[in-house]
Amino acid sequence: MVPDVYAPIQIKDGELIMDGDRMVLNAYDASAVEEALVLSEKHGGEVEVVCIGPAKASETIRKALAMGADRATHILATGEEEFDSASYAKILSAFFKDKEYDVIGLGKQSQDTDSGLAGSMVAEHLNLPYTTNAVGLEFEGDKLIVKRQGDTGQEMIELPTPCAVTCSNDMNDPRIPNLKGIMASKRKPIDQVEISSLGIDEGSLKADTTVTSYEEKPARQAGKKYEGEAEEIARQVAQFLDTEANVL
Amino acid sequence: MSTILTHIAITDGKIKRSSLEVLSHCKTIGDASGASVEAVVVDAKASSFVEGIQKYGAAKVHVVEDPIFKNHMNAPLLKALSKVMSDVHPSVFAFASTEGTKDVLGALAANQDAAVIADVSSFELSDGGVTAKRPVMAAKIMNTTVAKSDKVLVSVRSGSYDLNESPTTAEVVNVDFSMDDSELKATLREIISASGDTIDLNEAEAIVSAGRGVKDEEGKALIAELASLLNAGIGASRALTESGVYDPSLQIGQTGKVVSPQLYIAVGISGAIQHVAGMSNSKVIVAINKDPDAPIFEVADYGIVGDLYKILPPFIEEIKKIKS
Repeated sequence: MVPDVYAPIQIKDGELIMDGDRMVLNAYDASAVEEALVLSEKHGGEVEVVCIGPAKASETIRKALAMGADRATHILATGEEEFDSASYAKILSAFFKDKEYDVIGLGKQSQDTDSGLAGSMVAEHLNLPYTTNAVGLEFEGDKLIVKRQGDTGQEMIELPTPCAVTCSNDMNDPRIPNLKGIMASKRKPIDQVEISSLGIDEGSLKADTTVTSYEEKPARQAGKKYEGEAEEIARQVAQFLDTEANVL
Repeated sequence: MSTILTHIAITDGKIKRSSLEVLSHCKTIGDASGASVEAVVVDAKASSFVEGIQKYGAAKVHVVEDPIFKNHMNAPLLKALSKVMSDVHPSVFAFASTEGTKDVLGALAANQDAAVIADVSSFELSDGGVTAKRPVMAAKIMNTTVAKSDKVLVSVRSGSYDLNESPTTAEVVNVDFSMDDSELKATLREIISASGDTIDLNEAEAIVSAGRGVKDEEGKALIAELASLLNAGIGASRALTESGVYDPSLQIGQTGKVVSPQLYIAVGISGAIQHVAGMSNSKVIVAINKDPDAPIFEVADYGIVGDLYKILPPFIEEIKKIKS
């Protein structure tokens, strides 16, 4: 669950103020859910979703269940904790420690902070084979074949299961829940788990990084708009790029 | 004395310019604070890059050379970086933010129990750690993030700092490294590369970027002609990479590449917030779009309202004239 980055945002005295506190399912997580559903439709198996968040995160969890996930675990936070990526990764790792799974799918980053750290942290804590920025997943027997968008091209990576993968939103278009899915989601189980029951040394959850303030990004000033006869304005701007902007 | 370590990324047999930008900045803050500025390079031919690295002032270059690093894989890179961190004990370990870095940064922080701030646009040493600025909320907002730890990892967006040469004779430290296949965990089957001699968008001085308005081969040919004329990289909006018109590695935006060239020409791109998040730090932005209300004009220094098929031919011709 993340704040809706497309909702109006204000900054007051260095604090971020979100319009109506609109929270949504992180777009990258939605792609991970979608891909899990596609794989389970093809190969069988169950899709379970896990979310750390305050009570209102149950709405986000219902969205994933309405898309088609079978069950959910809600790891309860108060929303007042000052967690960073490392704290969340420790909580998730503690949760997964004694669970059985083939693949842990995660969003490659959260769309509000864009850090992209928690996925590989979880894999490291659990000593799992992993990869990041996946744009395609396929099973071959018990191997997961991941197409990863790398720096110079797409890497085809074979991972043994169990493994962890962080998902790009370029992987798929997450389905919009239909009415049947929404009705069905109300009957699906959500286990509630307290962080304190996961056997983590609470001191280790203390964040090493803290956001101390927010500020508006200095907005770019719109420059000049040229309208009129195509040939003339095209040549004019080309000239200005040479004489005025000096970038040719 | 504390140590500031910079990771030097190698792609396609070349040092990433963005790594040298980070090293240049580390040299500045290292000199100001009296810290030792060092670099680490991990590659199949790592030692061949030492010369290029010492131009930017690293006092020591840690070299991890092994054939296993020919292509990016996270397990060997993670092992190498963990080893160097354990040997050197840097107070700050700085990276250029690349897909390769993003693949291991969190895992390295977890492995070394280090604090980490990813994808910053600037950072400084501060009391007990590092203070950084990073764009958040689809790059509409900047936040200040403080890491308090005796080991801080930080990754920096390309174009955040200028290159600054300060040649030294670096001490070269060859790092012992070996890895069994059994430790690899994953197998890299193949790499599907973007076609041929494309210019790396993170390094390009100029970028010509195509959006939905580019509809056919004729449009692509105009983009290619303009790009070749300007020695520019070719980028694309998500609409065009998703529909397969351009290779996915060319996507510019919040989920693709974040670029900051001297000149960015957006052709037929409406300027959705996700796209603007990836290019708004370009020095000069030119937008060509037939919709006068397209949001791209709000960030463009030069907005040309018109049909790209009518604008580009005279635009290209005029630039040819200027160049000759």
